[in-house]
Amino acid sequence: MSAIAPTQPGKKDCILALDAGGTMTDTILVLPDGSFKVGKSLTNRRDEARSYLESVADTAQAIGLSSAEVHARTAVSIYAGTGMLNTVLTGSGRKAGLLVTRGFEDITIIEGGLTYLGQAQKDSLHNQLHEHTRPMIERQHVHGVLERTCGGSYFMEKHIAPGKVLIPFNAEHVRSAVTQLLADGVEVIGILFLNSFINPANELGAKAIAEQVIAAHDARVPVLTSYEVAPVLKENNRVKSLMLQCTAAESTRAALLDVQRAAQADGYGGQLLTLLSYGGAVNVSYPRLYETVISGPIGGMMGAQVLSRVLDLKRVLCCDMGGTSFDVGLVLNGQIPIRKDPEFAGHRLALPMVALDSVGAGAGSAVWLDKYKRLRVGPESAGAEVGSCYLYDRLTITDVNVALGYVDPDYFLGGKVKLDYERAVAALEQTVARPLGIDLYTAGSGILEVVGTQMRDAAATMMLAKGYNPAEFTTLVYGGAGPVHMWDFTAGLGVADIITVPYAAAFSAFGASCAEYMHRHHKGYVATIANDSNSVHKQRVGREIAALFSAMEVAAADEMRAEGADVSDIAFQYGIYARYIGQLESFDTPLAIADAAQAADCDGLVAAFETMYTQIYPEGARFPEVGYAISELYLKASVPKAMPLVPRYELAAPKPRDSAYVGSRAVHHRGRKCDFSVWQMGELLPGNVLPGPAIIRDPMTTLVVPPHKQVRFDEFMIIHYG
Amino acid sequence: MSTVAFNPTERASAPASSATAAHTVRHKIAQREQLTESTGHYWGIEEFTLKDADPLKFERFYSRLQSACMAAREVARFVAASPGGREMGEAVWALATAEGDSIALSEGFVAHSAAFPVAVRFMVEHGYEDNPGFHDGDVYVADDGFSCGAPHPGDTYTYVPIVIEGEVIAWACAINHIMEVGAPQAGSWAMFCVDTYMDGFVFPPTRTGENLRQYAWWDEMWKRRTRAGTMNILDDKMRLAGAGMILRSVHEVVAEFGVEYFKRAAREVIEESRRVVMDNIRNWMVPGTYEQCGFRVCKFKGLQKLWERADTDTLIHMHMRTTVDARGRICNDMTGSSRWGYHAFNAFPGGVKVAFMLGLAGALAYNTKFTAGGNYAVTGVLPEGSIYNPGTQVASHSNAWAQMLQVTTMAYNALIRGQFMRGYMEEAYAVSAPWDSVQGEGVLADGTPYGYTNFELLGACGHGAFAYRDGEPAVWFIASQLCNMGNSEEFEYLIPPLFHLGRKLQPGFCGHGKFRAGIGLTTVHWVVEPGQRLTASRAGSACSFNTEVGQGMMGGYPSPGAAVVIAQDTNLPELIAQGITPTTLQELVELHASGQLKVGKLETWKSDAPDHNLKDNDLWAEIAGTGGGWGDPLERDPLAVLADANAGQVPAEFAENLYGVVLSRRGAGYCLNAEATQAKRTALRAERRAQSLPVRQWWQHGRNQVLEGSMPDAVREMYRSSTSFAEYRTHFRDFWQLPVDFEI
Repeated sequence: MSAIAPTQPGKKDCILALDAGGTMTDTILVLPDGSFKVGKSLTNRRDEARSYLESVADTAQAIGLSSAEVHARTAVSIYAGTGMLNTVLTGSGRKAGLLVTRGFEDITIIEGGLTYLGQAQKDSLHNQLHEHTRPMIERQHVHGVLERTCGGSYFMEKHIAPGKVLIPFNAEHVRSAVTQLLADGVEVIGILFLNSFINPANELGAKAIAEQVIAAHDARVPVLTSYEVAPVLKENNRVKSLMLQCTAAESTRAALLDVQRAAQADGYGGQLLTLLSYGGAVNVSYPRLYETVISGPIGGMMGAQVLSRVLDLKRVLCCDMGGTSFDVGLVLNGQIPIRKDPEFAGHRLALPMVALDSVGAGAGSAVWLDKYKRLRVGPESAGAEVGSCYLYDRLTITDVNVALGYVDPDYFLGGKVKLDYERAVAALEQTVARPLGIDLYTAGSGILEVVGTQMRDAAATMMLAKGYNPAEFTTLVYGGAGPVHMWDFTAGLGVADIITVPYAAAFSAFGASCAEYMHRHHKGYVATIANDSNSVHKQRVGREIAALFSAMEVAAADEMRAEGADVSDIAFQYGIYARYIGQLESFDTPLAIADAAQAADCDGLVAAFETMYTQIYPEGARFPEVGYAISELYLKASVPKAMPLVPRYELAAPKPRDSAYVGSRAVHHRGRKCDFSVWQMGELLPGNVLPGPAIIRDPMTTLVVPPHKQVRFDEFMIIHYG
Repeated sequence: MSTVAFNPTERASAPASSATAAHTVRHKIAQREQLTESTGHYWGIEEFTLKDADPLKFERFYSRLQSACMAAREVARFVAASPGGREMGEAVWALATAEGDSIALSEGFVAHSAAFPVAVRFMVEHGYEDNPGFHDGDVYVADDGFSCGAPHPGDTYTYVPIVIEGEVIAWACAINHIMEVGAPQAGSWAMFCVDTYMDGFVFPPTRTGENLRQYAWWDEMWKRRTRAGTMNILDDKMRLAGAGMILRSVHEVVAEFGVEYFKRAAREVIEESRRVVMDNIRNWMVPGTYEQCGFRVCKFKGLQKLWERADTDTLIHMHMRTTVDARGRICNDMTGSSRWGYHAFNAFPGGVKVAFMLGLAGALAYNTKFTAGGNYAVTGVLPEGSIYNPGTQVASHSNAWAQMLQVTTMAYNALIRGQFMRGYMEEAYAVSAPWDSVQGEGVLADGTPYGYTNFELLGACGHGAFAYRDGEPAVWFIASQLCNMGNSEEFEYLIPPLFHLGRKLQPGFCGHGKFRAGIGLTTVHWVVEPGQRLTASRAGSACSFNTEVGQGMMGGYPSPGAAVVIAQDTNLPELIAQGITPTTLQELVELHASGQLKVGKLETWKSDAPDHNLKDNDLWAEIAGTGGGWGDPLERDPLAVLADANAGQVPAEFAENLYGVVLSRRGAGYCLNAEATQAKRTALRAERRAQSLPVRQWWQHGRNQVLEGSMPDAVREMYRSSTSFAEYRTHFRDFWQLPVDFEI
């Protein structure tokens, strides 16, 4: 049975997905039968092409092939990493200049005063120590240009029309500024004018003049406008996205092109893809490459999206527990919700991003008591040093699991790494048990309970904060530490089902291989639909929106075609951002329409908004009598690419075969010592049922099944816990 | 997950019968006070029985409550209409005990929780518990300083009782600063009120809804009594949406932990944080007294001709004597401050408590659970009849913050000085808390009325200088940890005729010193198509200590004062055609001085700017948002002065005349003339010596002025008011060594 649905003929039947972290570059190779192999190499920041090839070669070796042989059979290679993050953090991006509306020349320094981003509450409360994030563009390279455009108001037609140019841009200011920037040696120029998201005429006009000046100087300096990069309200967020694109994205593109050239030279016949921060994959020609800046944690979300479709799950709560954090997100009706203004490295961006919440609790998180004997977990993490049981000098969650018996110290990474049980016990004793005056196992159980509660609260908040009923959700658990703690943090969540997969530790890489080839386009748009709006007004608004969606469809198809994608089977999804008139925040309102023309039904748009709003807020928060405002349209365009299939198997008997049984192990579970049977993940079959207390071991993770619980392997080898 | 949740069809009601008197809020308040006072521990909690028995369960309990408050903010704030509530930190959601003591809070306006107990006490003492009774999911709203402790009527509070088995066990609370309060003068801070009957839409705790839903009439009140009905209704819905989420979470927590655990553990949480805050005070401060004063101009002469009692210019005196004891308690004695008056700057005790905690809250409690515990470590003495405890309901408090932020900064400055003395250099800085705003109302061409406030210069300001480094610009907001100016594009969306021509840093606008403050902010608004009418005024200014003049520390200079310049009947279109616009207040003044900007009328206001009717092409420019310097400017590293000049942050003329650093032109920038600098600094020091007086001589001169009464009328009246309090009269006489029978 082939697990691959190849879109290319011949032997292009494998998928490569790589995640280039700060330390390691991990590879997952999806084979035609749906199975996969994992490999890794040390990340080489100066030569990512090299670490890419080394990691692929390490993976290929597992099936007796060379990297070239694997590349020759690879339909798609997806490469996600932290290169752009490092560029921003180190300030090593391109030297950029910026033209802004005159009077806003200090915008990169002031940055709206947002100096608390990314801080925990205790740090944000200590606010006399707040500091600005270093500007991505130096102040001396920011110049003002006289211009003004009206963005419209919530009084709409009662005042100046949205988009009216109040002051045309001053061309001489543009010429003077660009000439100076060229003399200063900038490599790229950005332009941000107020309210350009409504009417980009001034921005685009200034760009044309700037390009003339650049050409006259025989220079090669690209010019980007905020309208092209992020045409949405809020100049402080928009300028951050523009600066990110100007400074970091282009240097990252150069590194990705190096990797692509290396892969192609090694026999890969396609284009290298990378991951968007809102899910989906694009090739490295994608114009708004800054949208790939946060791609690490979303691989698993995309994997969950695929599983939700295979298993026909309407609502999925995704729980990813790795070494340093516990990330939770949702997949709703096959879609991943996104946030419009995420925080990144101290900057607030105008960038759609998969909505994730994180708790700083992972397997490697340090556990400690503060001077008031309060238990603290993280944020420090042991990383590859694991814990006191290996190379770290502090107690970690993994130490607790080793001390209690959940994790076998002799089978970590399949036995490649030997953990020191005695040191784990000593660390738990010295760090927590003795200072609190409680016994070792009570301390260990209590720590897991606190960590489990933090994770459970994060998971519950993700559902309840949006007004969803947990009983309608399936919880999908993955990440290397996910199956170890699944029994604890899912207790009491009240969800319909709890599932994981045998390859939970590599699920994020698997997810990366599942990414759609997809673009998302946003367009600022201002219209109101008052209660007394007549049908003529509604028809006009509806027609405008339908026409804008049609134009966005054309733009999306053109863009994908320019990237070399086959757009013959392009598919679109539509949405608006809407609010009650007077509200400042618009809400993501997906539209269940089949084509752009159906958006012309204004009443349908309002109904979609009300449906979405009442899912989140109580009846008392509705305010329909003031009418509705639409502030933005968005379009998701996707084309098919090679995707892994989730294989379906014949069901075997509930009882596992004998070869799956490893033995038994004493575990201190919830303060009681009891024997857990131990099983080998690779030997279990679809249809098998394992009652607890049991532990299923795998080289990359451990699945804990406590007493009175069981796991069942279904025909997709999905593991159901309950 | 348990689903024991709020059930709108079966409303739990708190009993008022004597059989269950122990469960009444009235009884709980009395019991809390008796136990706290007699034992010195909150609710008499000397041992942490629950925490010690199972510390991990205890942490899990608190985590549930804290995450409920955080989640409430994260979800509910998007309902808001005002940027202040949504993301600028001018809102908070909280869970409080039945007596009103906060147990857990979201991010945001955390210090405002200090007013919760005032409202709860008022409701109980005025019979609310019997009529109409407290029911699960009832909705109460209030904004009155006298009865609910609101610092001013713009700070609007929502309280939702959480009732289980007939007993109020907690309140879900929310606060935000609304954009318009419906006073005769439009905006958030009406400046020229004579008494509270001019404060706008002011109301005591009022039951405005039930079952987590407001009554229909309540929306109509916002529409009829304020100029921004839609926005205020949406803010009201925002507060309630979050409070409803907290209520549901508490029901789940109680189902899991039990009512008795909830009540006891909540008290242990508060007592734990109280002890940590006192630990911090012991560690960070030196026991003793810290004495400070501030002044506030009150220019009512001529503005209030209809009300003769208010038709006067006065100076308000704020006097704070902070005592820190060896146990780690702070007491701020405001004796000596002016008596209350017929102006907008009075405050009530609840609001003063908020002012005490505004700066101290984060500074003292960032390393513990943030609860009401800190409120028990910081107390105050507020003499009846004073501006901080008028003892009468009629006092206006509509613009209390315009003087009370000095209370905040004085309290905070005492802590900073303690930390400096103890060697916590990284914490020590010249406290700054500037705030400024343009507010008003208008009528569009078609007759549509509206009210507005622009919070941008309130949401972010520069730090004063630190003891070891310069401050940064637009970096913090003393009232909340969520510093945020908002976006120009959003304010233009809300205030149609006002368009930004500038939102910048004003070079040189900061307190100078060995280390200088963060550079201040300046904005220029351009009026376009105001329709039938656009009025604008500006609240918050004219204070000596802060908010508008950041005090210097250790020889550092204070910040320059904030100001507004209003240019009316201008030739701006001609300038635009030439490619010229003023982008800062300073540029506006210079363009006018050069004759390029022609104006029919140019006004500069360094005190409260009253309502101005603005027309097409009028300009409204402001400057604010910095703090004081630290250390003598003559000790500043000349290379730092050079760097500032080359970065355009400090004008070159400041370098020479203020810092004694002589710079020479080099290309587009400057270079340092080291030799000339040394000579200049020597000369400046000699000048200082020539101008200085021995302290005794200075004191004798001051004493003579007092004896002869040779001081401006407003100053004389101010001292007359302050010395009418016996304790301060003694203090004043002792300092100046005046005859026993001396009266001002």
